[in-house]
Amino acid sequence: MQLTRTLPDRVIDWFEERLRIRGVIEYLINEPMPTGARTLYLGGVTLFFFIVQAITGMLLVIYYRPTPEAAYESILLIMNQVRFGWLIRSLHAWSANLMILACIGHMLRVYFQGAYKKPRELTWMVGVLLLAVTLVFGFTGYLLPWDQTAYWASTVGTEIAGAIPLVGEPMLNVLRAGNDITGMTLSRFFGIHVLILPATILALLAAHILLIHQIGLFDPTHRWMGPHQDH
Amino acid sequence: MLKGSTPSVAEEVHGVGRRTFLKYALGFSFLATAAGIVIPVAGYIWPPSRSGAAGESRVLVGTTKDLPPGQGRVFPVNDKPVMVVNTSQGVKAFSAICTHLGCICEWDQGRNIILCPCHDGRFNPVTGDVISGPPPKPLPPVAVSVEGENIYIGGGA
Repeated sequence: MQLTRTLPDRVIDWFEERLRIRGVIEYLINEPMPTGARTLYLGGVTLFFFIVQAITGMLLVIYYRPTPEAAYESILLIMNQVRFGWLIRSLHAWSANLMILACIGHMLRVYFQGAYKKPRELTWMVGVLLLAVTLVFGFTGYLLPWDQTAYWASTVGTEIAGAIPLVGEPMLNVLRAGNDITGMTLSRFFGIHVLILPATILALLAAHILLIHQIGLFDPTHRWMGPHQDH
Repeated sequence: MLKGSTPSVAEEVHGVGRRTFLKYALGFSFLATAAGIVIPVAGYIWPPSRSGAAGESRVLVGTTKDLPPGQGRVFPVNDKPVMVVNTSQGVKAFSAICTHLGCICEWDQGRNIILCPCHDGRFNPVTGDVISGPPPKPLPPVAVSVEGENIYIGGGA
């Protein structure tokens, strides 16, 4: 009986008997798509760019060195010596910009279609946090090449936080780890960029995607009647 | 092509049906895409050599100010250690890899010789010849040229 099945099928069956996960995966993958939907891809595009960022980021950290002496040199190494280093770094830089663009496009779509309304308020709130995390990703990543652009952009950027009344001064101190942008700032930004933010964004993404499946996709042509309403 | 033949006849004639062909085409597309990702990533992870493929380019290692007469130092040139010595007969350069067991030689300032610290192999800093110790052969010379104060290693000096 088993022999008539193909090998991949039998491997899948072996795991399914022990994991009983097929239902969960089907729940996560199969999502009814509203017939009138023409603009529901921007979130997926953002997720795609995030995956590109995760993979290229893991590769970049193999050669990058987060110290003031070595950072810029390691960037030159990646760009000039490492095979396809220019490709991996350029993908990371471009995908970072495009991810923010896709994020904002996604947010505008949700806003103008009113898709944030009941019962999807939590998805929206988590989404706003995701946008914030993405922007902090961009800001901390910008300093890491440790060139003139990076240095002054971070000087100006942290200066903005410092301009807030009362809390500005201590915030500036925490952001820069002192009065100026130094090696301490670089380690701090590096740690935030490669450890703290990835952990945060994974948790938020899981919540965001789970919420989409709990409530079902928003149908721009229908008024909401109940959970998993048939279209 | 057989004119007017039904798809089933065509399948028999060519031996490959439409479905099979599409399966292969799809499989090939997946493989090509996977290769387009795996090859750059594998190339990226493989450690880079310091210079181009030939590794024969001329490298500026320093100036005669950094290396006053009577001094020697090992410089990495195209991924290989090179002993550069400013001798009484001009600047000389040798491979710093000991001909005995491949240790990296060092400059012995006190005795004015190139010394292999592993088994006390001693080399003449002007000719690269073995003075004493186990090395069987002299250190191979490396092309060196001095232009003004700049010391260049490698290339056709």
